[in-house]
Amino acid sequence: MKIIIRLVLSAAFIALGFWLWTVFFPSPEQIIRKQLANVARAVSFTANEGLLARAHNASKLAGYFSVDAQVSLDAPGHDSYTFNGRNEIMQAAAGARSAAGALAVEFLDVAVALAADKLSATVDLTAKAKIPGERDFYVQEVKFTLKKIDGDWLIVRVETVKTLSRARMDEAGCCRRSV
Amino acid sequence: MTNKAENSGPPCSRPVAAGWPVWLRIALIGRRPRRTLLRVVVLVVISFVVFKFILLPIRVTGTSMLPTYRDGAVNFANCLAYLRHEPRRGDVVSIRLAGKHVMFMKRIIGLPGETIAFVHGRVTINGQILAEPYVKFPCDWQRAPIKLGPDQYFVVGDNRSMPIENHELGEPHRNRIVGKILL
Repeated sequence: MKIIIRLVLSAAFIALGFWLWTVFFPSPEQIIRKQLANVARAVSFTANEGLLARAHNASKLAGYFSVDAQVSLDAPGHDSYTFNGRNEIMQAAAGARSAAGALAVEFLDVAVALAADKLSATVDLTAKAKIPGERDFYVQEVKFTLKKIDGDWLIVRVETVKTLSRARMDEAGCCRRSV
Repeated sequence: MTNKAENSGPPCSRPVAAGWPVWLRIALIGRRPRRTLLRVVVLVVISFVVFKFILLPIRVTGTSMLPTYRDGAVNFANCLAYLRHEPRRGDVVSIRLAGKHVMFMKRIIGLPGETIAFVHGRVTINGQILAEPYVKFPCDWQRAPIKLGPDQYFVVGDNRSMPIENHELGEPHRNRIVGKILL
């Protein structure tokens, strides 16, 4: 019985040690995932966001991008847009906040592929956006390219992926994994 | 010890030491709790494997598969459907985006190597009109012929009442097809 207890305690200590290691020394994948979760939060906004908060959050969102970042959005059924640099991205984020009442964005199925030098990474994910109050939601596959610049993982490129080569979600039949 | 005492007599509503009537205990955990526990574990493992890797539970969202599949319906994607053969024309399949959390649900109408077009709302395959009994809403879609690659399938929804620009259709690669819709 003592041996079993010792084994269980040892396993628990090893698990705790591993967990602490990942907390204090996260892998690049973990850092990137966390960064993208922050991006999703920064893209989202509520209807009661004040002017000051709106400007602050748009600026915060731009901070996740490199100075020369490029965002190419070509969502089917919509016009295509390209934003170059932090300023344009910040303006676009502020403009979107003015145009839409509220938006809740979530990144699903985040797949991180780290380059061999561990200084750049590409991330493929599904962005799910929902306007509160509307029944439908919008999904779009997106590819992010990130680079480690001065110790921080910054987004250098964002581009939409044409899953079916053309796409529009609002009328699309899609299915969601039931939870 | 308790098990032996419980098994020695017939089930009745006589309270046991734990405070539960025997019949309730038997109803909840059976006469042999260890065996019941084993059954529960096996059931949980089987359910996990089946619903995680074989039959993916899905909920339909949107109207593009009407009237075959209504908005909000629950279904399953059979991931083993294409182990022995490749997808066939007429199959309703789930198509992944970056992963399997959200997928498209579409019907395959074009197979690899074929040329697909929409002419006055009718689908043509290599110039021949395709009979589509599942399409109940007429349309007037026009789309130039497109030749599919060796791993490409042409998918479209059954509901074509909206303008073609507003409908999700296209040519996904084979590796994006996750499975066949079961029901």
